[in-house]
Amino acid sequence: MKRFAVLQLSGCAGCEVALLNAEAWVAEYKLVYMPLVVSAEDVPDVDVLLISGGVRTDEDLYKLRRSVKNARQVVAVGTCAISGGVANLGNREEVRTFFLAQPDRPHVPRLLPKSHPVDTFVAVDLYMPGCPPTSELFMAALTNPHEFQASKVVCQECGRQKHKDMKPAHLLGFQQGEVLPDVCLINQGYLCVGSSTRGGCRAPCPRAGHPCVGCRGPSDVFIEKESAVWFTSIKRVFAAMTNVPEEEIVRGLRSPQLALFLFQFSDYADNTTAGGDHRPRPKERVL
Amino acid sequence: MTTLTFPLSRIEGHARVVIDARGGVVQSAKFQATEFRGFVYLVQGAPAEQMPVIVPRICGVCSTAHHVAAVKALEDAYGVTPPPLALTIRELLMLGQLLQNQATSLFIFTMPDRLGVDSIFDVDATELDGDALAGVAARALQVRQAGTHLITLAGGQFIHPVKAVVGGVTGGISAEAASAMRAELADALPVACALFDTYWDYSLALSERLGTWGDDAPACYLTAVSGTQPNYYGDFLRLMGCEGGDVCAQFPAREFRAFLTVEEAEYSYAAQTSYQGNVLRANSLARANLVDSLGTPCANEYLQRFHREFGQPAHAILLFDLARGIELVYAIERAMGILAGPLDGAETRIPYEPRDGEGYGLVEAPRGPLIHHYRIEDGLIAQAEFVIPTVHNVLAIERALRVAAERYITPDRVNLELERAVGRVVRAFDPCIACATH
Repeated sequence: MKRFAVLQLSGCAGCEVALLNAEAWVAEYKLVYMPLVVSAEDVPDVDVLLISGGVRTDEDLYKLRRSVKNARQVVAVGTCAISGGVANLGNREEVRTFFLAQPDRPHVPRLLPKSHPVDTFVAVDLYMPGCPPTSELFMAALTNPHEFQASKVVCQECGRQKHKDMKPAHLLGFQQGEVLPDVCLINQGYLCVGSSTRGGCRAPCPRAGHPCVGCRGPSDVFIEKESAVWFTSIKRVFAAMTNVPEEEIVRGLRSPQLALFLFQFSDYADNTTAGGDHRPRPKERVL
Repeated sequence: MTTLTFPLSRIEGHARVVIDARGGVVQSAKFQATEFRGFVYLVQGAPAEQMPVIVPRICGVCSTAHHVAAVKALEDAYGVTPPPLALTIRELLMLGQLLQNQATSLFIFTMPDRLGVDSIFDVDATELDGDALAGVAARALQVRQAGTHLITLAGGQFIHPVKAVVGGVTGGISAEAASAMRAELADALPVACALFDTYWDYSLALSERLGTWGDDAPACYLTAVSGTQPNYYGDFLRLMGCEGGDVCAQFPAREFRAFLTVEEAEYSYAAQTSYQGNVLRANSLARANLVDSLGTPCANEYLQRFHREFGQPAHAILLFDLARGIELVYAIERAMGILAGPLDGAETRIPYEPRDGEGYGLVEAPRGPLIHHYRIEDGLIAQAEFVIPTVHNVLAIERALRVAAERYITPDRVNLELERAVGRVVRAFDPCIACATH
């Protein structure tokens, strides 16, 4: 029986909870380390090490570097481990000053000056983005990631119909309006980025009537490119499907809600002046 | 000085317990939260309307509670009252959260302590009580999944849900989907009851072996539910004094500072709450003490038995765990009741105008009352405050740890039971460190 472990760095445990829902591994795999559900002191030798969360404290960094030595395969799980995710909002210069002004706590792990993705420090064999990744993705990562079948983008998995003659003049706030069932959310004036977000999640959010915020990050078309290419593409989608002025789209695309998406571009953290350690992830290694 | 450090597992997040003893006399017992992400800072300058998507990421275990609290805080700021159907669907969301959480805490976090194993996935039923424990992990996951499916149905996805929006919810629930969910819950109910009965028996055996249910001095209790048929959607906070009896204070979220003192600690990333200098407790035992009857048949029978056997208020530490099982059953029964009614009405949300100002959102999360407080300027978050249930329990955890340490540390030696006792005490409070430190 293959052995696997889950190392949780600074994150929300959402990835771990999603794994618990993929109960099929219980019969096929031996879970040897996962502090959320197993009492064990250290990461032993494993076939697969799943790592969730960002590197935020010096203890995170120590555990990370120590654990990967015992693993044959390293999987970065969830958007935080891959690009910092929502925590990257704290790497904005004006917000970092608040962190740096935190009172010194001598008895607990020191905060690093900023949050880092896992591959800043260790080699990663497979990336599994999502906030969190679905249970189906977890099973695919554990069993055979190369056989996983999914559409290229969330848009193709959503099932809502696009209408050529339904062109909103302005964006609706994320919280506003009455969502029509079965009609594309862009046609209804929502800033949905499902048209370029990596597929494989089966589009739970747009199906439930909420625009895709891009937690799975860029699709293969964009993942090795710079964020400017994505900005241009999204602007083009909205120009074709709506009458919303371009500046409204641009403003919306740079909002914190879409941080989950944006920070996955290799150059984007640099643009917000706090980055420098991201690099493009080769698409063959992204689930 | 002897310093004993206990890393913690089978709780959410990163924390440890540090006990200092000198000459066999316990000097201190500290509960240290060792992670920090800084959501108070992360959300600075975010458009207020994006909070329901951003703040669930505080915690993947409690994301539903944060999602609903965020929406309620914005509705308070904007002066919006959602339609009744939306409130019903949000109650379902909170019930799904309760069901999922209590199943996880009960069977995945604390059952191993009753069985003497490291993990529920390690249980070999043949070596233990065969019938009662056969397939225990699979059955526990089945019950837990009924909760996650309920959140998905009412919230879009079960971690970081999206369906609650300012003014209501993005959509209703079709009769067909409600009926399928109801059938799944009906299947889960007897499984949950059987598992809980086993859990109760093993807890009783544990208390007999230890000679205690984890006795500790009386505490004050804090919750946002009370009376009969509690609604975890939350309205007012309620306090029960150390002497028990009636609710001694009832107040809206915006007045919490008049009753609760929240202070930072230099040895932990989590703050701690007190009430007029008294130790406070939230979570399942607070609710079991303040709720008189649950209004659903099976859960109510368990609650009456609980009150009969342990009194009201009850104070022993391990009773938090039993109270969680009662709520697990309640969540299933209550959700089945709601799903039997129509949930596909036309009015799921009402229009609103965003405006600047302040808002408070309160829900009763599985770990106790959760408050989100936002100050909005130019449509952006100028200040955010998260008042977290686990924080209310920090002083209670430390006091209970001290009682356990004094029991097991003597001038001769440290009894090896201490390590297990530390785990049991902390897990009884089911702390969530991602939330507590946010």
